[in-house]
Amino acid sequence: MKFAPLILKHLRKNWVRTLSTVLAMSVCIFLICVLQTVLAAVNFGLHSGSTRRLVVRDYVSLANNLPISYKQKISALPGVTDSTIVTWFGGRQGDDFKNFFANLAVEPEAFLRIYPEIMLPEDQKQKWLSDLRGCIIGRKLADRMGWKVGSTFQLESFIPPYRVGKPFEFVVDGIYDTDEARYPGTNLDSMYFNFKYLYEATGERIGIGTLTVQIDDPSHAGAISKEIDEHFENSDNPTKTETEQAFRAGFISLAGNLALLLNVIGMAVAFTILLVTANTMSIAVRERQQEIAVLKTLGFSSGLVMALILSESLLLGLMGGLLGIFISRGIISVLKEVPFLGDILRGFPNLGLSPTIAAIGVGVALLLGLLAGFVPALLAYRARITESLRQV
Amino acid sequence: MSATEVAAKTAAVNVQNVVKVYQRDSQQIKVLDGLSLEVPQGEFIALMGPSGSGKTTLLNLIAGIDRATSGRVWVAGTDLSPLSEGELAKWRSQNIGFIFQFYNLIPVLNAVENVELPLLLSHLSKKERRERALTALRIVGLADRSKHYPRQLSGGQEQRVAIARAIVTDPAVLVADEPTGDLDSRSAEEILDLMQTFNKEFGKTIVMVTHDPRAAARAHSQRHLEKGVLTA
Repeated sequence: MKFAPLILKHLRKNWVRTLSTVLAMSVCIFLICVLQTVLAAVNFGLHSGSTRRLVVRDYVSLANNLPISYKQKISALPGVTDSTIVTWFGGRQGDDFKNFFANLAVEPEAFLRIYPEIMLPEDQKQKWLSDLRGCIIGRKLADRMGWKVGSTFQLESFIPPYRVGKPFEFVVDGIYDTDEARYPGTNLDSMYFNFKYLYEATGERIGIGTLTVQIDDPSHAGAISKEIDEHFENSDNPTKTETEQAFRAGFISLAGNLALLLNVIGMAVAFTILLVTANTMSIAVRERQQEIAVLKTLGFSSGLVMALILSESLLLGLMGGLLGIFISRGIISVLKEVPFLGDILRGFPNLGLSPTIAAIGVGVALLLGLLAGFVPALLAYRARITESLRQV
Repeated sequence: MSATEVAAKTAAVNVQNVVKVYQRDSQQIKVLDGLSLEVPQGEFIALMGPSGSGKTTLLNLIAGIDRATSGRVWVAGTDLSPLSEGELAKWRSQNIGFIFQFYNLIPVLNAVENVELPLLLSHLSKKERRERALTALRIVGLADRSKHYPRQLSGGQEQRVAIARAIVTDPAVLVADEPTGDLDSRSAEEILDLMQTFNKEFGKTIVMVTHDPRAAARAHSQRHLEKGVLTA
């Protein structure tokens, strides 16, 4: 600690250089934290799916619907205990892209049986089951939109088969919650309505977006999936069946290999900042050749001189890291409000800067500081007093 | 223990048959050629000679910031040859006060912090370090400039701060490499007065390299180097 003033004064002397390096480092850590937070939220969403649920969809594309008759055929297969249609409606409130939320058409009774994490008061549940235009919304969505039980709103789908020339009208019959301890990661930012309403309004011409199937034993998931797909293998609409977790992973991968992309961006930024910081430290040490020689003459060992320079570099990293985390916290909290990106991120209920990611951010910053300072510190360690003094 | 070793241990500086060779690319340059020198304790000696004669090299060997190619260097009772780099650094911090021609103060530290710098290597408390540094500054007459940065001081004042830094650890030997070489005559006189005071009143052994005959005249004795050997 007694050497701290010496380190701090050096950083303060070239405050413009110090500030710019810290800012560059903070941007790097901010990016890494945000990217890792998004990845963590995505992964959390993926692993929160039930192992007893399979998702059946069209083999070729999610955009293709399956025939309605598939539900009955699949429900009759051994090992299948229940099923519900889950069709992505893609509804928006007019041109409001900012307040987009997931809205899905389901079969209410079966849906509530298969998804025990969706918790509704009994009276709201009964009301929804008997109300064709009714819907249920998650607590977060209700808070965000200011909707209460009895509120009405309109949605218009951007998916051609679901466009009927006018918006669909909905009534909020219930607001669902969940048991976070038992069902972590449950999305409270979605809306569910009766598939029958959609089916009738579109002239009974639409099919099934996806069918969620509940099975008797998670260990049979592979065999049942195979059996379902083989059942429809030679039909006009072959299916692709997978666990809910795999389905979510595949859905995310539609947008490209997110994890790879984000990690490559993070590494590229980190490498650039490493070069910037290393350059800063190299210049700082070169400027202080004379001082290093003087310190050694006074009795500072080479190891101590090296430690001082590494400490300076680590401090740069630490300051950049902490600033980056501070910025990340602020930015992540408003990310959900960003148009388009916010729409995607709201699908991941656990989005927030975790202590683990913050610690990773600080760790990366310290590592960058250490690496950037290593070569200049080593040169200072090796510098011979007489030669350094002679060069001045 | 041989008589030679006894003599080496009792003298402040004892240089025995020292050779120093520098490697410059493919060429070997012999700077000191079998040089021997003894400086008794409490002595103030001036080393003179033309450029390239080996004065500063000899001073560096005495200060323990360079190593002899062969021969032995005893300073303050310690044979420097077998010491490791770390041991040598620790030994310097306790036994040597170095005064540079160009002061070499740390520009980001103020006067008292510069003087305090060698004490950071001691086990003294922060308060004790500060008190000793202020005392050293008082001795060199700069107590009122303790918070001034090097850029706010004149050359003479900077050199006095450098002297305060050299004496703050109470070293046995002060080595000075042309301490007045960058000063006007009045400042040079003040610096030489200070060095004489340290020699006379505090009994410090001083080895000073200088080109200036007036500075050399302040020393008890003068030794002349030429081509790496003592000529007088």
